[in-house]
Amino acid sequence: MRKLTAIVLTAAMCMGLAAPAMADIKVAFSQIGQESDWRTANTDSINGTIEAHEGWELIYDDAQQKQENQIKALRNFITQGVDYILFTGVVSTGWEEVLAEVNEAEIPLILVDRLPDCIDDIDYVAAFGGDFVEEGRRQVAWAGEYLKSVGRDNEDVNVVIMEGTTGASAQTGRTEGNLAAMEEYPFLKLVGQQTGNFTRAEGQAVMESWLKSIDKIDVLIAQNDDMALGAIDAIKAAGLVPGKDIIIVGCDSVKAAFEAIVAGEMNATIECTPLYGPFVESCIESLEAGEEMSKEVIHPEEGVYDMEGGIDLGTVTSVAAADVIDERVY
Amino acid sequence: MKKKAFNLSALTRSKITWAVVAELLILLVCFVIRPDFFSISIQPSTGVLYGSLIDIVNRSAEISIIAMGMTLAIALGGTDLSVGALVAVSGAMALKLMRWDVLEYVTPGDYTVKPFWMAILFPLLTCTVMGLFNGFLIAKGGMQPFIATLILMVSGRGIAQILTNGKQFTTMYSPFRVIGQGNLGPIPMPIVIMTVVCVLMALFVRKTAFGTFVESVGVNRSASRLSGISSDAVIMIVYSITGFLSGIAGLIYSSRIMSNDSNNAGINYEMDAILAVVIGGTAMTGGKFSLLGTLIGSIIIRTIVTFVYYFGIVAEATMAFKALIIAVVIILQSEPVREYFARRSEKRASLKQG
Repeated sequence: MRKLTAIVLTAAMCMGLAAPAMADIKVAFSQIGQESDWRTANTDSINGTIEAHEGWELIYDDAQQKQENQIKALRNFITQGVDYILFTGVVSTGWEEVLAEVNEAEIPLILVDRLPDCIDDIDYVAAFGGDFVEEGRRQVAWAGEYLKSVGRDNEDVNVVIMEGTTGASAQTGRTEGNLAAMEEYPFLKLVGQQTGNFTRAEGQAVMESWLKSIDKIDVLIAQNDDMALGAIDAIKAAGLVPGKDIIIVGCDSVKAAFEAIVAGEMNATIECTPLYGPFVESCIESLEAGEEMSKEVIHPEEGVYDMEGGIDLGTVTSVAAADVIDERVY
Repeated sequence: MKKKAFNLSALTRSKITWAVVAELLILLVCFVIRPDFFSISIQPSTGVLYGSLIDIVNRSAEISIIAMGMTLAIALGGTDLSVGALVAVSGAMALKLMRWDVLEYVTPGDYTVKPFWMAILFPLLTCTVMGLFNGFLIAKGGMQPFIATLILMVSGRGIAQILTNGKQFTTMYSPFRVIGQGNLGPIPMPIVIMTVVCVLMALFVRKTAFGTFVESVGVNRSASRLSGISSDAVIMIVYSITGFLSGIAGLIYSSRIMSNDSNNAGINYEMDAILAVVIGGTAMTGGKFSLLGTLIGSIIIRTIVTFVYYFGIVAEATMAFKALIIAVVIILQSEPVREYFARRSEKRASLKQG
């Protein structure tokens, strides 16, 4: 009798568990970690959209900046038999094997944000991410165009580039864009290049050393806003005025950067929007409807924000940060 | 003459001597490349000492403070891998208490939600309790220190994330800024805190019997217990101290950036602290230890980082460059090299005598 009850209960439980699971679309997301405000906003946007969508179930993994954790997470997703995998890689290389396993399991792979180097060798249904090279180009172009507008293009202007985590696609892409744009503004002289690992603490320490080793720094190109914000403190400690003595151009457009620009301590930030939720939603919806997506990497539309606005960068014209700060959600 | 030669031989056998030699060598290279590396001035606008050497000591504060505790843990024959994670916990807790209002994004201002003493005391208390937990697992649970502290090393960052909902909070509260960016007269505050910690630790281990207890337990736990030392108590006190010191380091770190950064705060600090202890001449096998050596070790590590920034070593080569210098330092300190120099100075002394 007891055995029978057990069997009945087990069967009931299985059915009870199976029923909703069958109906749900399982969307798995392997996020690299929470290294910055940007990443937090990115996670919130994607996770929030999936969780709010009826009939979708979110399986989320935070890899804490470790590639091995991400590889483990992707293998877990395969074992769990999820319906979609959203993936952004902490570094750009070393993904061939595990992504091939995802392909073998025939799980649709949606690449977001940092795209892997092996993108041409793997199967994916859609790719969405910032154009890092263009962001890097805009950073230097903003500095160049701004200096022209204030008539400083006939003097030598010393530029330092604070790079992100070595090997991250945001770092390689932005550096490529930075250096390419430097050539278009011959009055900009590169006098320092170092990694600040995308963190405030290291941005601060690197700037602190530069201020002592380089006689004259006119422009700081920081490949994310966090490093720029760290550098601001170092510049103040050296008795200089950030935003005036040293022109600071950040990237990402986090709210703290807007506040710094409005306060006059930072000059510009190039947007790299983290709000991927709407894209992910429309992408999965159209795939569910049986539509095919383009393999082309889709770039979000992004702006440039500075103190006064009106700097023309060819593809985009800058907007004054003070005008839009209240609309910013991250 | 004879006395001096005898001293030289003893000196060349000491690992601390070689740590100092290594540091001086690095500084010599700096001096040859750019003598102004050594320039120190008073920054007129802030009234604080300004120079690369100041930066080295200032930015070594976190590791120096943690490494004081790590020295004792290693002298016990153990190690504490959780220190980096505790740095993150401490910062997260402090920011959480000051920015209790943050549910949605609120512009940071010069205010604290919970009283400031809470934002200082609670993180320190929490880290001390977490250290005690490590010590308890090791002393009473009989676990290997490596495994026992691995638990918090892995879960600590998770705890920090939970404390702050995975978010990075920023504050502008000026009393908090003093810890990492303030100054006492012309001296940056982290250097002041670090000096106080080092002096107190030195007094505690050398002016009381505690240092001897630690060495004794490190050499032979059972024998120490039989001779009347409460090994368990010593172990639990040492790991609590390490936790407490990690808490202080966490407050300094987060005050420098006025923000918590649960993923990056204290990352690899356990490795840097262990390295500082080893360079400082304390053996991983336990027993004798030297707090002074550890301090020098920690400053060597920061000198290398500052060197890389100052002389603009390309980003890609940074890690390899650090590894190379550390390898040289460790080889300089190795038994055969020290023996070689000790024997040479002995030989020279006996030749002169004869």
